[in-house]
Amino acid sequence: MELFDWSLLSSTIRMVTPILLAALGGALCARVGIFNVGLEGLVLVGAFSAIVGNHFTGNLFLAVLIAALASIVFSLLFAYMTIKLRANEIVVGVAINFLALGLTTFALRAIFGVKGAFYDKDMVGLPTVEIPFIHDIPVIGGIVSGHSPLVYFAFLAAILLYVFFYRTVTGFRVLAVGLNPVAARSLGLKVTGLQMLAIVMSGALCGVAGAQLSLGQVTMFTEGMTAGRGFIALVAMMMGQSHPLGILASSLLFGLMDALSIRLQGFSLPTQFTAMLPYVLTIVAMFFLKNKSQIGSAHQQSTR
Amino acid sequence: MAAIKELSKSLVQPFLAVVIGLLTGALVIAAVGESILGTYLEMWKGAFGSFYFFTSTLARATPIMLIALGLSLAFRAGVFNLGAEGQMVLGAVSAALVAIYLPAPGMIKIVAGIFAGMAVGGFWALLPGFMEARFRIPLLISTLLFNYIAVLFASFLVTEPFRDRSGSAALAQTVMLEKSAWLPKLFAGMSVHAGFLFAIVAALLLFWVLRFTPFGYEVKMLGQNSLFAQYGGINRIRVMLTGMFASGGLAGLAGTVEVMGAHYRFVDGALTVPGFAWTGLMAALLANSHPLGIIVTSILLAAFQTGAMGVERNTDVPLELASVIQAVLILFISAKFSYDWWKKRKAKGGESHGAL
Repeated sequence: MELFDWSLLSSTIRMVTPILLAALGGALCARVGIFNVGLEGLVLVGAFSAIVGNHFTGNLFLAVLIAALASIVFSLLFAYMTIKLRANEIVVGVAINFLALGLTTFALRAIFGVKGAFYDKDMVGLPTVEIPFIHDIPVIGGIVSGHSPLVYFAFLAAILLYVFFYRTVTGFRVLAVGLNPVAARSLGLKVTGLQMLAIVMSGALCGVAGAQLSLGQVTMFTEGMTAGRGFIALVAMMMGQSHPLGILASSLLFGLMDALSIRLQGFSLPTQFTAMLPYVLTIVAMFFLKNKSQIGSAHQQSTR
Repeated sequence: MAAIKELSKSLVQPFLAVVIGLLTGALVIAAVGESILGTYLEMWKGAFGSFYFFTSTLARATPIMLIALGLSLAFRAGVFNLGAEGQMVLGAVSAALVAIYLPAPGMIKIVAGIFAGMAVGGFWALLPGFMEARFRIPLLISTLLFNYIAVLFASFLVTEPFRDRSGSAALAQTVMLEKSAWLPKLFAGMSVHAGFLFAIVAALLLFWVLRFTPFGYEVKMLGQNSLFAQYGGINRIRVMLTGMFASGGLAGLAGTVEVMGAHYRFVDGALTVPGFAWTGLMAALLANSHPLGIIVTSILLAAFQTGAMGVERNTDVPLELASVIQAVLILFISAKFSYDWWKKRKAKGGESHGAL
């Protein structure tokens, strides 16, 4: 097996999807001044709800919708705690992660009566989309075409979020809230409402990210299947400085590392080291991020 | 007297949180269709029902308590150390390797193992602390990422170079420590070991350090108002690094006593799967980082977990009931900040010199 070939790019695009979606969600929160450590939990809830929705409705569209709604409910809890009760957002984020892990594992056993993982051979995963003309182009077709619809949605979401932030009035208002909530409030903007809006949208994005995890490739749910992707998304968001296109670039980098680490297992390297690669790279990447504004706010958070 | 008052004040909130957690648990039990009272009775029996179960609860509380103490020191200094898991695991694997391969009598092995575990845990925590101080890389993220690296590295050590290949090859683990290097049990036939005493001593020591030493004062100042502390001549970076080292050292000790007192070897995943680090984080938050409060909250959280095992043995309610209750506890605890904030706003203009 070759280490670098065209199919590596194709699997990068698949791997990047949950990270990209969650990171965009995190960026929405960051832009209204809220540092969302709960991304991991929100994605996990989405992944589980997608499987539940798929199992009971048999309809993939409904399954994705249920995933998004479930994560929105969780994000509302986050919003209520941080905005209304003024709880420390990091503590709430950590608690959300716990709650998601506990509830999904509990529900896995209560609903399906299994421990560890749920798999049903009758359950159908997300279909792959073959884009008509592009599919027939030799190399590019293999990379770009043949992914699940959520993969395309992720890239579309990045562009849409860019348009939202920089081309719509609501987007400008969201940015204003993040830059200076007091000034925004004095202009008559509904700061709390806009923060709620951003957190709910972030919940929806994380839910879809989870659906791609559990329905996109494997069509199963395993306990804690996010495996730190939410945190990687958090770092991707910081690296992209909460700019949709910056996030797109940094997420692609992490997706490539993810794909590469799986590929490297085919060589005689110990799996532990290949699995370590994305985390080591993330730390290395953070050396190039110092003194950037997003880091700055996270820094204040971490030392508050 | 003031100490008792502060302690009881810091325990009111956890008590309320526990009540709400239990109510949520009741909802979950009802959702599964089991008897709420019967389930909680099984939980009580599983945690405190007999002397054996009680000592198992104390044994489980041991690593949780040590980790919570370490984290509380960091929190008090205003630093979020989310890397306890990695610090614990690396400490544990180092202690195991030293205790196995150091050619020395048992007593020396124990001492050397403990020192190695604490030192490695401490330095592993110091590294992100240094990265924050020197390169402004946020600790919150770096400590989290360091967890994955540490756990994977420890896993590599016991699956490749130091694997026990003599027995069944199913588990990735080191060979067993020789009997003279085991930490003694406190009661014959019971699972609680000398590590529990270490944890109690550490709690008392930390309480003393925070209350009566200049370092404790600096930590407190830094945590409450870092700008003012620096203005007052406190070296923020020095205190932060010392705090991180001690924090990681205690997490390393937690892993070490688990290895030397409970498993007698390093087993891959034996420390991460029970979620000791995250439970320790919750114990610290529940006790509002008060060292003596942590003794109570650690035993409480351990009791939930051993109790949940009893629930799973005797009813149809899954073990994860405990994690749901715990997560609700921590959510409710986090709202406490607002409770303080609300109280302060209400008491605006009134007495304002009370220690918060």
